[in-house]
Amino acid sequence: MIRFSRVSKAFRDPLLVDVDLDIESGAIWGLIGPGAGGKSVLLKIAAGLMRPDAGRVEIAGRDITGDDETALAQTRERIGMLFQNNALFDFMTVLDNVAFPLRRRGVADDEAEARAEKRLRAVGLAGSEHKMPSELSGGMQKRVGLARASVADPEVVIYDEPTAGLDPVTTSKIYDLLREDHEASKPTTIVVSSDVDALLSFAPRVALLEGGVLRYDGDAAAIAESDDAVVRQFVTGSLEGPL
Amino acid sequence: MSRTRDIRSADSPPAPPASAPDPQRVALLLRPPLLVGAAALGGARVARGIASLFAGTLLRAINRQSERGAVAEQMFNIGNRSLFFVAVTLGFIALVSVFQVCLQLNRVTGDLSKVGLELIKLMVHESAPSLTAMMLATRVGAGIAAEIGSMVVTEQVDALRMSGVDPVSYLILPRFLACLLMTPVLAVFAFGVALGSGTAMAYVAFGVNPSIFVDFSAVTAADVGIGVVKCFCFGAAIPVVSGYCGLTTFGGSEGVGAATTRAVINASLAVLALDLLLTVAGFMLFPPSAA
Repeated sequence: MIRFSRVSKAFRDPLLVDVDLDIESGAIWGLIGPGAGGKSVLLKIAAGLMRPDAGRVEIAGRDITGDDETALAQTRERIGMLFQNNALFDFMTVLDNVAFPLRRRGVADDEAEARAEKRLRAVGLAGSEHKMPSELSGGMQKRVGLARASVADPEVVIYDEPTAGLDPVTTSKIYDLLREDHEASKPTTIVVSSDVDALLSFAPRVALLEGGVLRYDGDAAAIAESDDAVVRQFVTGSLEGPL
Repeated sequence: MSRTRDIRSADSPPAPPASAPDPQRVALLLRPPLLVGAAALGGARVARGIASLFAGTLLRAINRQSERGAVAEQMFNIGNRSLFFVAVTLGFIALVSVFQVCLQLNRVTGDLSKVGLELIKLMVHESAPSLTAMMLATRVGAGIAAEIGSMVVTEQVDALRMSGVDPVSYLILPRFLACLLMTPVLAVFAFGVALGSGTAMAYVAFGVNPSIFVDFSAVTAADVGIGVVKCFCFGAAIPVVSGYCGLTTFGGSEGVGAATTRAVINASLAVLALDLLLTVAGFMLFPPSAA
């Protein structure tokens, strides 16, 4: 279980305001909302990459809010993350990118490479092992990012915009990959996406953040009938409404 | 009865009392000290950040947390790839310095026998370490800040942390160790190039015999010691200052550009400030009469 209790964060402007959210172990959660709504910040707080200004974050019953960098590094070993812009190491080959988290966890080189190759085959990138990230298309880079996020079989996987900038066919393939990954090892999966329709059909439960405030937290199927006009307008894409 | 006439019309606003300060004037007067205060606070924050990064890097160096092979790679990047730049710069500076000094001395005394002696002494404890370090601050400092800064803005540093990597051990420490080791090596190389070009200039333009020009008799152990200490201090400061600028990059490519500029300026200032401190310390520890 990942629990956010009254989590707030601000830089100049408030990014998150008293966010309360419980994400059950093994669940798939979608996180949606208008741009600059605080989604990526919430993900980074969940991953221990950013500290909240106020509130508490618990992962598997343990409060990580006051943890030092060493303890946070241990927590991060249980989490895999796909970054919005993939964040592939541009000085490493595709294979080294995917094997990197395994090597850092002490897995022997041969085994790390074998597992990375298997993961790359699973995402349809067999034959691209020795290419550099700059030689790949956007969709291929995204798949390398997916492979790297899940190669160490983490308990929690966070996907920040896994389909941003991709065509509809590649988007469907990416969601199929996410579904297969989830069925294989049942990690707690959190997905942020601007592609609301695709995300609503993928995630059974969703949360909507707008201006740092949690406006909806519940079933994906019922979100269009929300009492909140902001939520309804965002989900339906209507031009008329408070947004 | 008063003869003075009130020139204010009945509906004009009442004049403020003579003692009430004009808010606009007050704001204008307060602006410079506020700006100075904000700059001082910002400077203190940066200094604290650099000191903290230096302490963290040193701690990791003591605990041998560096990546295998990374130091050698950085030694090649920082050392070998700076050879040409440092050689050309120091060579030309020595050429011009010897030419100017000989020209002036020729007009005054005509005795050029001590030019090499003084140039060598100056090069050993001052010019070779500080000019080499200034060159490294521009070439290496800019490179470190740009590389780390672009990794920050593309979230690669966050990806490193998600992979269980400590960014300071992975990115700063190898550069710190490499620069620490390569700065003295480059300074010795630069000294050799400067000596060679200075000797050549003195011989070709003024007919000074190289056996007279190359005179190490004025160089003391203190000169060599100060020069070596300077090299190590500059070598430690450049990667930490530029690494800090890289790690604190924000924004996109514009942010990387700003971080690179900041790194060059701050690393150069750090070299100059350290140079002054170490020169004064050297002067106090080894006064010229005792040397």
